Amino acid sequence: MADQLLLQLTNISRDYGAIQALKGASFEIGRGEIMGLVGENGAGKSTMVKIIGGFDTGFTGEYFYDGEVRHFGSPTAAEHAGIAIAQQELSLIPTMSVAENIFLAGDGVPQIASKGLLAKKAKPFLEEVGLGHINPMRVTNRLSVGEQHLVEVARLIAHNPQVLILDEPTAALGETDSIRILDMVKRLKDRGKSVIYVSHRLDEIFKICDRVTVLRDGESQVPRAATDMDVNSLVELMLGFELGDMYPARRPITRETPILKVRDLWPDGILEPISFEVYPGEILGLAGQLGSGTSEILGAMTGSTKSRGGTLHYNGEEFMASRPKDAIRRGIAFCSEDRKHDGLFLGRPIMENLSAPSIETISSNGLLNGAKERASTTENAIKFTVDPKRLPQEAGVLSGGNQQKVALGKWLSISPKVILVNEPTRGVDVGARAEIYQILRDLADQGAAIVVASTDIQEVTNLPDRIISFYRGIQIGELQLGEMSSASILEQITDPFHEAGIAVSERAS
Amino acid sequence: MTDATAMSVDDLNFIQRIRRDYSPLVIAMVGLFIVVFVAGATLTDDFLTWFNVKTIIRDAALVGIMAIGLTFVTLSGNFFLLSMKEIAALSIICFATLMGAEWNQWGPAEGDPTTSALMMTFLVAFAATMIIATITGAIQGALIGLGGNPIVVTLGAAGLFFGIGSWWSDNLVVSYRRPHGAEWLGTGSFLGDIPNITVAFIIIAVAAELTLRYTTFGRQVYLVGANRAAGRATGHENFGMAIKCCIIASVCAAFVAVAFSGQVSSAHVNYFSSEFGSSGDMTIMVIAIVMVGGNSIMGGYGSTLRTSLGAIFISSIDNMMVLNGFNSGARVLAVGLMIVFSIIVFALVRRGSRAVE
Repeated sequence: MADQLLLQLTNISRDYGAIQALKGASFEIGRGEIMGLVGENGAGKSTMVKIIGGFDTGFTGEYFYDGEVRHFGSPTAAEHAGIAIAQQELSLIPTMSVAENIFLAGDGVPQIASKGLLAKKAKPFLEEVGLGHINPMRVTNRLSVGEQHLVEVARLIAHNPQVLILDEPTAALGETDSIRILDMVKRLKDRGKSVIYVSHRLDEIFKICDRVTVLRDGESQVPRAATDMDVNSLVELMLGFELGDMYPARRPITRETPILKVRDLWPDGILEPISFEVYPGEILGLAGQLGSGTSEILGAMTGSTKSRGGTLHYNGEEFMASRPKDAIRRGIAFCSEDRKHDGLFLGRPIMENLSAPSIETISSNGLLNGAKERASTTENAIKFTVDPKRLPQEAGVLSGGNQQKVALGKWLSISPKVILVNEPTRGVDVGARAEIYQILRDLADQGAAIVVASTDIQEVTNLPDRIISFYRGIQIGELQLGEMSSASILEQITDPFHEAGIAVSERAS
Repeated sequence: MTDATAMSVDDLNFIQRIRRDYSPLVIAMVGLFIVVFVAGATLTDDFLTWFNVKTIIRDAALVGIMAIGLTFVTLSGNFFLLSMKEIAALSIICFATLMGAEWNQWGPAEGDPTTSALMMTFLVAFAATMIIATITGAIQGALIGLGGNPIVVTLGAAGLFFGIGSWWSDNLVVSYRRPHGAEWLGTGSFLGDIPNITVAFIIIAVAAELTLRYTTFGRQVYLVGANRAAGRATGHENFGMAIKCCIIASVCAAFVAVAFSGQVSSAHVNYFSSEFGSSGDMTIMVIAIVMVGGNSIMGGYGSTLRTSLGAIFISSIDNMMVLNGFNSGARVLAVGLMIVFSIIVFALVRRGSRAVE
């Protein structure tokens, strides 16, 4: 194995001022190997990836690549040596065609090339990433987010890299697109490429990785074969202690009078009006893949996305929120899936973030009451295990998990009766994830009604007390606690009409 | 993320605390300010005299008040009003026309009008000007709040307001007789040798800063400016915010117009385009002050204190160059260089202040 190693980093240290991101960590990957790189947020994964890819040059330690000592001075140098990184953030130019994006760097194609020639040259790379059905002449922003991620990878593959680093490639993707990514990774491995796979989704790690390197507090564990571990032992390695059960225990719920009745709600993206009830004390799950319409439903209930009609029966009143303010005033909170877009004020202090929905209640006669604000935000910060000493810091400096806790925690300030959460743990590390589940469960136990929309199959199976499933804008069915299993949910959200089966039998005949 | 970044508030000394709170930008600003003052004081005769310091602040007052108003628009994420000087132009025509109107029915028919009659005329003209300014601000704010591009909306509004003012005054100078009720604001000084306009500048600067820091409205300005989508999601719509901030900017512009008219006992639509300040164009000057102060053009970050300091800073540089005999071209150049320099400094400082995750 040792002479097979393509890339080897030993005793890597890197500090940013007072923060030591890596403390003598090591990393290695063999030829044709898929190496998982996991760890909590802040464990040093991103730093390690940046060092490998030549983005970060200020480290100490040994860097061997292809049997030679290297110290890449820039990402371009690393790329020329055959190390490519697919970043979390897309770097495609949305108004250009898929083929143009793939050959953006301009190498491997003639100086002057027609669109048709580019399309022809792009085709094999698209097939490689499972996008063979996409017309390379299409404008990139007409593709789904998942497809765009795959185009990004196709662009990297066009340079024929030896090591491909995928940093959270599926964080923003639904189930179908994630499966495409995983299939692509396997194809790359079959062609002898090495892939470093960074992900919070542990099920994926076990599906594709040969070995796994765990980072914890800037230190690395010896890589272990994925087959020697299970989810629990991996999580314990990441955390350094036993987690117990990640999902809080569910208690039997008596559903008498619903707190909120949704009637004939018809958000954009949903094919027909939908109706359902939410009961106090329960966590209701809206299961569906990306594009199934669940996020539009939550948005429409609070007036943050458009809907064609419908009413909410709530607290003896019939209303339809035309803007989020209408819902907030009634004690209905909505935490969207994209905290950077509309969940946080990144440049403002954490305290102001936590008090944002309730500025009116902490002021009198138009004047802010500083003491009141400090008291209530400190209380909520403690509930969400965010250090109250950090309240004056900008929200932007927090890690993903802590940001999500602040995005969610700000809603406690209005003492909500109904809490709608879309993707409660997207891009959140395991430790923070368990905390968020526990907090949601505690809120439900205290009598709040919680509606969670999620595309994460594990989460939607294990957190809610009841599930309503959606498939491409259609309400499929309702599953009670006893009927909820990954298999039953997956069937309803991926193939409720057995289309795949029909397609297969048609092809067979 | 480790606890290393979570420094305790209590165990910091004064300098550390200054450095961690709003400071890096203010430090850079104050540092520069000190350098200029030291250089100016040593190299220029008569720079650091009490008389000259008063001159600097008085010169900063008019543009400063306007810039303070505009800062609300910028902080709330609604960019700039490119119609500042046209709002002032319409306001000054309105004010001067009403000041000159022969309706002194509050005083004796013959001879010099009484002080109370002059004051009543002033109050009517002032109130009417402020109402017009409120309307001009509200129209622009509503259009911006409905999603109109601030540049397009305010450029269009600029033409509209200038056109109305020019039409109304037949493009002539509108003058009115001394003594009149606006002299106290234009040239008067109740506090010994400190001009009233300087006092007004200080009062407005303090009031604006307190509003931003300690009122619900002020907090909403920052939140909506920092992230409009998150502001909406937490119940703070930009529609009302844009209207309020544009009214504040518009009223500040009108106040400056009134004070300036009080100085010269007249009005003309071109007063704020060609005959004002070193660079001539009031709108550009005011925007320059907001930017030199280090306010974020994207909104959500900055303060009116920065704007006030920016106004005094530009004024003192200008003053120093005048004392050294530079012509107006060189002074415009200096203002331009300061903007570029301060944007770079603030951008660098701000990037540095963001901790690594």
